[in-house]
Amino acid sequence: MNFSFDVIWHNLPYLLAAARWTLLISVAGMAISIIWGVFLCAARISKNPLLSNLAALYISFFRGVPLLVQLLMAYYMLPYVGLDLPAIAAAILAVGLCSAAYTAEILRGALQAIPAGQTEAAHALGIPAFSLWKRILVPQAVRIGLPSLVNELILLVKVSSLASVVGIGELTRISQNITGQTYRPLEIYIAAAAIYFLINLVISGLGRLAEKRLQAG
Amino acid sequence: MADTTPNSNGAGEPIITVRNMGKSFDDFVALRDVTLDVNRSEVLCLIGPSGSGKSTLLRCLNFLEAYDTGEVRLEGELIGWQEGVSPRKARSSGTLRKQRQHIGMVFQQFNLWPHMTALENVAEALVQVKGMGKVAAREKAEAALAKVHLSDKAQSYPANLSGGQQQRVAIARAIAMEPRVMLFDEPTSALDPELVGEVLAVMKEMAAEGMTMVVVTHEMGFAAHVADRVAFLDAGRLVTCAPPADIFAREPDDARVRSFLQTYRERNVV
Amino acid sequence: MELDLFVRYGPALIRGFGVTILCWAAGSLGGLVLGFVIACLYRWSIAPVRWVIYAYVEVIRGTPFMIQLFILYYGGPYIGLVLSPVQAGILSFIVYGSPYFSEIFRSGFNAVPKGQVEAARCVGMAEATILRRIVLPQMLVPITPPLTNFFIILTKETAILSVVTVPELLYETQTMAAETFTYVEPFLVLSLFYWLMVIGTNWLGGRVEARVTRHLKRA
Repeated sequence: MNFSFDVIWHNLPYLLAAARWTLLISVAGMAISIIWGVFLCAARISKNPLLSNLAALYISFFRGVPLLVQLLMAYYMLPYVGLDLPAIAAAILAVGLCSAAYTAEILRGALQAIPAGQTEAAHALGIPAFSLWKRILVPQAVRIGLPSLVNELILLVKVSSLASVVGIGELTRISQNITGQTYRPLEIYIAAAAIYFLINLVISGLGRLAEKRLQAG
Repeated sequence: MADTTPNSNGAGEPIITVRNMGKSFDDFVALRDVTLDVNRSEVLCLIGPSGSGKSTLLRCLNFLEAYDTGEVRLEGELIGWQEGVSPRKARSSGTLRKQRQHIGMVFQQFNLWPHMTALENVAEALVQVKGMGKVAAREKAEAALAKVHLSDKAQSYPANLSGGQQQRVAIARAIAMEPRVMLFDEPTSALDPELVGEVLAVMKEMAAEGMTMVVVTHEMGFAAHVADRVAFLDAGRLVTCAPPADIFAREPDDARVRSFLQTYRERNVV
Repeated sequence: MELDLFVRYGPALIRGFGVTILCWAAGSLGGLVLGFVIACLYRWSIAPVRWVIYAYVEVIRGTPFMIQLFILYYGGPYIGLVLSPVQAGILSFIVYGSPYFSEIFRSGFNAVPKGQVEAARCVGMAEATILRRIVLPQMLVPITPPLTNFFIILTKETAILSVVTVPELLYETQTMAAETFTYVEPFLVLSLFYWLMVIGTNWLGGRVEARVTRHLKRA
């Protein structure tokens, strides 16, 4: 059986349509991951022991339990507490909430590299906590942690494939379906890998661009 | 030579000679045609407006910046570039390291290694560079810390030291290597005003002991009272180099020096 | 729960857990070392080498692990690289992890202030000594949490090795489930094993972090 570009060509429209779901889950998941991750990180290093321990528990849970299980929980268990989410929302939420745990840890590490004197200087100037985070700490933490954050976002794109278990026709699911019909796994999976690769290339390209700008500024 | 040297350790002889030195960053000419001697046991202060090239000049002396043209020599030895090779080729990293061991440097931002205690900061290079044993290095580091009056802070990490204390540890780190020359790059500019004095006091003691020092500074008081000579730079050129009395006491001849000191005085009166 | 099932399949599960630990430890430590070498090469080499490294990082990081594993295991023999499942598993793990690790190390290098290195050069320290004594201890501060993150992520990626018949934990669990028609219990045990690995890694990461951030504690 020879490698057939025709198979890829004929199925490309379906793959690309499926990739739109992958993109949607990824981009929305990233937004949740970063915003929620910042708050988690702030809670984790807070001097309030209750906040700090809750955040530690959250991080331990979301890093410890496989995402697949989290996803099934979000989809099948939340309705019992009256939260009946559509599949796509459950997928986005699960992916985002899980990734936020990793993002929070990356930011926490980066914050440790910022001299404590800066926070003290800001306190001395009477800068309120929210501005301190927004204007001073987060930008620096992002600058230091950027390559690791890009790592995390790329992993997020890849795990979005798990959304297939709650019935979303994203890239991996559709690739499996097409393979089932065509019996050409090699071509289809290589095409799917190429699409994942292109999405990730854009993310890491944006990451490098941001890195350059943050270092210049 | 003997008739020109005031004492037996060769004080008064040039130890660093800078000849027609120039340095550019891309299109920006940072230094042009600088010629300057630093004499043994002398304190030479470099002053001038910001951006005048005084820090760059200092950093060229130990080849942290590679100068483009001219020469820098320490006791006759060309710093950084291989002797008599054209086009220029940098010395091997091993040779460069040997040269730098003789030139101590103190930075504006201290640059203490935060993961080491004060004592470890001072002892590190003694062990890693000079190959001293741990015990000997420790004793020597303790002596160096005593010189900057910080024996009681030997076990503290930089995060728990004030800026002035950190800078004194940085000075101890440099003098423990027994350099022939010490370079100071605005050593008090990052300090709170009340901490400046303790650092300047240590530097004064070093000067009194005969250490050769090149100091980039904005502390005109220090330059006026401790320096043997003051060099004024402007726009990458060495405008004048003279005893402080000539520069500070009466109206300086050069208009640029005059206007710099004028602005400086006004700023400090307000 | 049927306990006798676990008496019967217990040894196989434990063995599977051992294989998982082996692949994970060897693969991720290998990836860590390779990633460090890559990050150093990227930092200290000429432009063409950097482009090659850049492409390597983007391609390996951007494609799914399963595809890489397939290519290595099924494509390897075409170029004379015949590997046992476990060998393929470990090797692909090393390769897969290396670009992530190298990016984490790259961020670490960038986080160490330039003045730290200059101060070391000024006392005549050799570059290798500077890396070992000055840069590395300091970069560990910001990168220990992301490194821990990635070790944890890799614990879960070990499950993918089952697709090339590495007799690891998931593989043994699936065997047990298929042969006994029980599904809930085996997978609960499976989750417990993974959870243990994550807890262990997290604890270890915390210990390392406490060690490398010692100097930040205010007296």
